[in-house]
Amino acid sequence: METINLTSIKKEFVVEASQQAAFEVFTRKMDLWWPRTHHIGTSAMTEMVVEPYLNGRWYSRHTDGSEANVGYVLNYQPYDLLVLAWQIDGDFKCNPNLITEVVTEFIAEGPKTTRVRFEHKDLHKLGNGKVVESMDKGWGEIMNVYKQFADQ
Amino acid sequence: MNSQLAFNALGDPTRRAIFEKLQHRPMAVVDIANGLPVSRPAVSQHLKVLKEAKLINLKTVGNNNIYELNREGIVAMRNYLDKFWDDALANFKALAEQTEKQK
Repeated sequence: METINLTSIKKEFVVEASQQAAFEVFTRKMDLWWPRTHHIGTSAMTEMVVEPYLNGRWYSRHTDGSEANVGYVLNYQPYDLLVLAWQIDGDFKCNPNLITEVVTEFIAEGPKTTRVRFEHKDLHKLGNGKVVESMDKGWGEIMNVYKQFADQ
Repeated sequence: MNSQLAFNALGDPTRRAIFEKLQHRPMAVVDIANGLPVSRPAVSQHLKVLKEAKLINLKTVGNNNIYELNREGIVAMRNYLDKFWDDALANFKALAEQTEKQK
């Protein structure tokens, strides 16, 4: 089931894998499931890394040897919970003053069945700065329009 | 709204630069091209892609074509992120299930 609103993206689904396997694939093997086309580096992406501990870095490595920060680990509780700070703003730049939370919960429903609750919160913050300043009425109006649309 | 188009459109650094410029104010092509390391025809091509992605609008003022941000396009960016996570999480699910089977 998905809930649609403008400031948060929620996903919930069941994975046919143990809670530990689901958590470890999500955290330690992000490189293997992250879409290669999506990064903010200066050259092609070679690796996506989450350092698996509190305050660990979340970043991508690139063919020219550079690294591009995505954010960092806000909460690390194997095998129940991972909270990442996503710091890429609406200009596709990493902004150290920006924190939007990417919360992923892993709930064991059986030995090989895990429910995953995913939420990317605070999306309105991504537009802070230039995007909002340039708009006459900012996000308030957009959200109203969106609510009307969603309520129809 | 085609959010995938919006996401792809902003995947190009020149188009991101144009998009950022237009966040300050609406501009004519000549002003947009000014300072960018690409030719005018290339800028026009990029503008076409941004327009098709509904991230910018074209309006005519007198004899000038002026480009401005499309507010709906900002919502499209949110939808872009939504689509991105759908793709990423589908990959994750497949990999986790494959990993479980191989244990």
